[in-house]
Amino acid sequence: MSTIVHLDLDAFFCAVEERRNPLLRGKCFAVGGSPQHRGVVSSCSYAAREYGVHSAMPMSQAIRLCPDLITVPGSHSLYRQYSHHVMAVLRQFTTKVEQISIDEAFLDVSEVEIGAREIGQAIQTRVNREVHLPCSLGIAGNKLVAKIANDYGKGQFRGNGFPNALTVVTTGMEADFLRLLPVRSLWGVGPKTASRLDEMGISTIGDLAVSSPDTMFRSFGQTGLELVQHANGRDDRPVYPGSSQSKSISEEHTFPIDTTDEMKLREQIKRIVRNITRRMNDQRLRASVVRIKLRWADFETITRQRSCSATDDMNLIDQLAESLFDQAWALRQPVRLIGVGVAGLSQKSIQLNLWDVEVQKNQRIFDTMADISVRFGNDVILFGKDLQTRKQNEERSNENPP
Amino acid sequence: MKVTVTQQQLAHGLSLVSKAIAPRSTLPVLANVLLATDEGRLRLSATNLEMAITCWIGAKIEEEGAITVPSRTFVDLVSALPQEDVTLDDIIKTNTLNVHCGKNHTDIKGIDAQEFPPIPVPDLQDGVSLNVSDFKEMIQQVTFAASSDEARPVLQGVLMEINDNKLSLVATDGFRISVRKGELSGATGKSHKLIIPARALNEAARIAGNSDEPLVMVVPPSRGQVIFHTTNAELVSQLIDGNFPDYKSIMPNSYKTMVTFSTPALLKACRQAEIIAREGSNVVVMNVMPENGGPARVQLSAQSEETGQSEIVVDAALSGPELQIAFNVKYLREALDVINTPNVILEANAKNTPAMLCPAGDNSFQHIVMPMHVN
Repeated sequence: MSTIVHLDLDAFFCAVEERRNPLLRGKCFAVGGSPQHRGVVSSCSYAAREYGVHSAMPMSQAIRLCPDLITVPGSHSLYRQYSHHVMAVLRQFTTKVEQISIDEAFLDVSEVEIGAREIGQAIQTRVNREVHLPCSLGIAGNKLVAKIANDYGKGQFRGNGFPNALTVVTTGMEADFLRLLPVRSLWGVGPKTASRLDEMGISTIGDLAVSSPDTMFRSFGQTGLELVQHANGRDDRPVYPGSSQSKSISEEHTFPIDTTDEMKLREQIKRIVRNITRRMNDQRLRASVVRIKLRWADFETITRQRSCSATDDMNLIDQLAESLFDQAWALRQPVRLIGVGVAGLSQKSIQLNLWDVEVQKNQRIFDTMADISVRFGNDVILFGKDLQTRKQNEERSNENPP
Repeated sequence: MKVTVTQQQLAHGLSLVSKAIAPRSTLPVLANVLLATDEGRLRLSATNLEMAITCWIGAKIEEEGAITVPSRTFVDLVSALPQEDVTLDDIIKTNTLNVHCGKNHTDIKGIDAQEFPPIPVPDLQDGVSLNVSDFKEMIQQVTFAASSDEARPVLQGVLMEINDNKLSLVATDGFRISVRKGELSGATGKSHKLIIPARALNEAARIAGNSDEPLVMVVPPSRGQVIFHTTNAELVSQLIDGNFPDYKSIMPNSYKTMVTFSTPALLKACRQAEIIAREGSNVVVMNVMPENGGPARVQLSAQSEETGQSEIVVDAALSGPELQIAFNVKYLREALDVINTPNVILEANAKNTPAMLCPAGDNSFQHIVMPMHVN
């Protein structure tokens, strides 16, 4: 029998911010962009959640819900460092660790010869003590139930601190555990599927588990059959060691005021490409698709993309992104949001070159720049050629104070 | 011109010279093969202006003369003819070649031989004599490492250095270097440093055949050409102008880890690994682990997201620290293909610095290969 752990760091960004600034403890605060800059909530403290604040909500709306909300700008390089540390701790329990996001992982601890609850407590204690971060765990016989168990356990928590929950579903009891939960708790059931299921008289996972596979297949196709499987607590996906590879990496920027300033737009593209290539370097990835996203003042949003042979060259990605921008911005409309992304990601295996010292030199420069940024912040180091544009921008913003 | 030759000799001669044909040239005559009577033999020549190949075959000459005919038509025709005598007769007025063999009469429209570019004649007195079987082996051991990248012409060539009785050939594509040293049968008193297109050297090996007669190499002064000559065939090639990279500075002086394999066993393992690796990025990870009290175990693993994965264990002898290093398996296989000793030595310092393959007990050949970077 397998024993699978799902671990999730509780309000991860907020927990890190509390470590940095203990005065935030117990307060209503949110990590994300500032409301003046049309920012969005990335993570919010449990105290703020009591007011109905949740992640992905516009910061201005969050402040309307919770007027005392303290907003904290995120420092993603710091979060990455913490995340690395947590994953390193997890790997001491088993090599079968599958990282699924910056703050989430599955562990296959079937071969660890102590009880499920004991191992869960051991993992939680180590993460609490060594990384000083709260975390919640769900433990069950497969990934599906472990994850749902964890969500359920965290959901039971009420208060201003962190859940630091541990929920174990005993083998054989999966279907019982799932029976009374709403169908929305299942992976793959979004609002649309949930409302269609509701129309069919299916509101709990238990209802779904005993529904006729034929009917489900007719209504939802193959997905319908999988839903019935899942509702019965059946899932045989293994834990893939290593981080599950991201399918795409992207970043967006919303301008505080819609802009038609070409220099500013290009500067943003360059900055985002820098961040993206840094993340690609962290994960040793190359991309074969570059895309840009533009949202005009009227919220109409367009994306444009281009394929290239797999690359992690910052200059090339920037060139491609800017050439896409040139095409898309032919009408010079005011831009509300600009985003750049890469996809078609693959792990790098590079044939090293005997003479191409230039390439190796560049690689060393990028690696060093990435290191410095992780330690001292995003914009502390940049190429001389980017300095000019930054300076011009600064001068202009000084001339026209907001 | 009216000559009679055997179909076999004509077909063989054409197969040699047709490698120098330039089928899509703007100069139509370069798509043709030159047929000319030459001191009692029939001469066949073709050139793409970078390389010219000539071959002489025995012929019964009734009338001297010369003509060029489109290579493709003529080669296809000759190869379809029965193994009998072929009579070639040119009709000068219309520049047409009449080919007659058995019951076949074919007229092929040609171009005047005057339009065919002149091919230099070597001064054989001034040549360096090369043992055919040795020189062919040397060529085979280096040319595969030359680049096919047209952006860097120098790397498409092989550096040939001759110093009195010492001869060396070196080729590199930036990822690997093949170095083969050899000796000439006698002192030449000559010194040459040439970059010869790898392709021309491969063709030189072909025209030399399996003859016992030496291949004579001539470098006409200040013409930027090299000529390889045997009694029955000759190849002229332009040399590549430029500086060959300083390969000696790249070659490590010493290595920490030395692994000795059975050459056929490692080659077989590489061929097996390549079946999976070729679907990915050709990477094979080589894990050299010491085995207590016994020979080392070397595990080759290849992985492809779509096809699957493969692990092959090869016995080896290890001296020095254990090692994990990744290579392009094609590079390993191509080098092993030209190593003729029963054992082969792999030497390396680290997973990101050049490694070397060389035949055990033979200092004449060294193959440097750069590893791949993997996670």
